[in-house]
Amino acid sequence: MTLNVLIVDDSGVMRAMIRRTLSLCGIPLGEVYEAANGVEALEQLGEHWVDLALLDVNMPVMDGEELLTRIRASEEWRALAVIIVSTESSDTRLARLRAHGVEIVHKPFTPEQLRNTILQVTGLTHAAASNDIAVPSGDFDF
Amino acid sequence: MPQQATTSLFQAATSTFESLALLFPEQGNVEGAEFLPLAATVSVTYRGAGAGRVVVGVTAGILPALAENMLGAAAAPDAQVQRDALGELANVVTGNVLPLINGATAVYRLDAPIDAGNAPFGARDGEVRRAFTRLQMDEGEALLALFSHDDAAAPSAVPAAAAAGA
Repeated sequence: MTLNVLIVDDSGVMRAMIRRTLSLCGIPLGEVYEAANGVEALEQLGEHWVDLALLDVNMPVMDGEELLTRIRASEEWRALAVIIVSTESSDTRLARLRAHGVEIVHKPFTPEQLRNTILQVTGLTHAAASNDIAVPSGDFDF
Repeated sequence: MPQQATTSLFQAATSTFESLALLFPEQGNVEGAEFLPLAATVSVTYRGAGAGRVVVGVTAGILPALAENMLGAAAAPDAQVQRDALGELANVVTGNVLPLINGATAVYRLDAPIDAGNAPFGARDGEVRRAFTRLQMDEGEALLALFSHDDAAAPSAVPAAAAAGA
């Protein structure tokens, strides 16, 4: 099984960092799509099958919280596995997000944190993913 | 409170530089110090439980190192990517310093990073500078400040060189 992943973040640098982390951490990847805000993400969801969405919270046009609400209200995507990848630290807001059945990865994150959370929300086993995280020399955390 | 805010800013900045960009800072002196010329400055505005902005400026040696380390690039990314990397770093610092200062229940919305403009470390009308810190690394140095609109009692003592834009 491979995962089609949608990365939603207004920072192109952060999208590139997440994409690179995914490629290094042994997750069986299919297609990786990117969106810079919630509106673009909904467009991507209208065009592609996605198994996992990684959402930032603070974004222009449509933020991650509104995007998540729309995903959960959608007949097609309400069961989509979602991980919030954000600097968000407010207990109040995190509780609201968790009520939508998501897991949270706090920025800055390590490849291990992202990998373990992906395994948790997708139901993939460690055996299905490569055991090792292929971190090039000199790279440790993101 | 100002000292606590500065300590929090230093902690959030150090953690972010280390884990996001693999750069390992030490705290530099700000009182009476001369500052190196900055190659780029960015500002992240926050709103919600309070309002203000966090400014991050870096010297020329830091800017390519940030992008190379964040993206794992073998060669320095172009100038725009370098600025985007600095913006993302400022965004992460902002998201992490606010709960350290104002508690974990406060909710904020962060705007996208923008160029900090002229005299980036001077307070604007209606602003108070609550924290200012200097990070020194092998590659150069970084200056960071936190301004708020909601704390008129906080002192805004700022080294003159930094207020002028370092």
